[in-house]
Amino acid sequence: MSTDDTTDPAAGGNLIAAEYVLGVLGAEERREVERRLAQEPALASEVAFWEERLGGIADAVAPVVPPPHTWSQIEAAIASDARPRTTASLWQSIAFWRGFGIGAATLAAASIAALAYIGLVPASRPALMATLAGSSGQPNFVAAVTATGNSLVVVPASLLTNDPRAMELWLILPGPNQRPHSLGLIQPGQPIRLTIPPELAGQLTPDAALAVSLEPPGGSPTGQPTGPVIASGKLTSL
Amino acid sequence: MDADATRSQLAAALVRVAGGDRAALRVVYQDTSAKLFGVCLRILKDRGEAEDVLQEVFVTVWRRAASFDPGRASPITWMVAIARNRAIDRLRASAVSRRMEPIESADAVSDPAPAAVERVELAQQHQRLSRCLEELEARHASAIRAAFLDGTTYEELAARMSVPLGTMKSWIRRGLLKLRTCLEA
Repeated sequence: MSTDDTTDPAAGGNLIAAEYVLGVLGAEERREVERRLAQEPALASEVAFWEERLGGIADAVAPVVPPPHTWSQIEAAIASDARPRTTASLWQSIAFWRGFGIGAATLAAASIAALAYIGLVPASRPALMATLAGSSGQPNFVAAVTATGNSLVVVPASLLTNDPRAMELWLILPGPNQRPHSLGLIQPGQPIRLTIPPELAGQLTPDAALAVSLEPPGGSPTGQPTGPVIASGKLTSL
Repeated sequence: MDADATRSQLAAALVRVAGGDRAALRVVYQDTSAKLFGVCLRILKDRGEAEDVLQEVFVTVWRRAASFDPGRASPITWMVAIARNRAIDRLRASAVSRRMEPIESADAVSDPAPAAVERVELAQQHQRLSRCLEELEARHASAIRAAFLDGTTYEELAARMSVPLGTMKSWIRRGLLKLRTCLEA
């Protein structure tokens, strides 16, 4: 019976994110979803969709003031943590980067046309482009390697946030255990040209990935991403 | 103060927490702990357990504030998700026998007068959710609300509503598919 989705494995598969958020899964199934979340950006954005949309059900819960000693216990628990941990695990997972494809072709094509018009996309050699998409798949930036191969133009495709934090662009080379290399800070509101450090210039190849993270003003203090990744995508030859 | 101001104030506090600001965590705690404690208590039905989980939640917020993305999620939604996940994990792990409340209790509390803070947080999205839930078959919507609020498994829900497990899965999955269509519209 086609209307009975219990007999349709695809329907259940599609809904695993919703079932996780709803809370109907058992402990083992929950661990399985959490393992997949680290590797599958599409699943992570499905979970984010449902968390945001179903969150309103919690409005039905009456607030209950916790006992006063709870705060002092929290204070004690964080006293030994000098600083909050960063999201290093996300960056260490190379599978996370492999999962990204190119989305929103129309907007990307429009941006590429604009870049070609202003002469930034070279005609003589294969052009390298990347569409940097956010977790929900919308393109936030388009990046192109300039003709000389030693600089990169980043064009914002949509205004994504009024977040006060700085946006830093990172290059992740293909291969296992690659650490992100900073390419500098970018602006959400205007195109910017960044010089590629000479030691990296020859290494911008298809399958290298670009990503944008939110950082403190002036950029990451550690030389590695410390804030959330708001957009990412792989370089591709046109 | 309007909803956007409340939201951006809390988001700004979380950004400061990400930078290691303990005073900012205190601000976040004052603004959200009653809501989150209510959420934990509803799932765990035990004050001691809920207090433990609330502590874990704020330690998690302290450690993970850097991964909060204000462009993507509202701060309270992000924190409620952490609280529910922690509480549900505790519920699954604990041998504490849960009170089998009749399913009607979910409906009984589904429409209280929201507190001031919640009223401003009750954005368009929440109104849309209520409207979409109303479009579902009553028992499907009721099962979805109960699952979310109580963190109960398919098996427990089926037992509580005295229907076979397959029927409960079917109700909830159909409800979720319809909800997704409605929420995306």
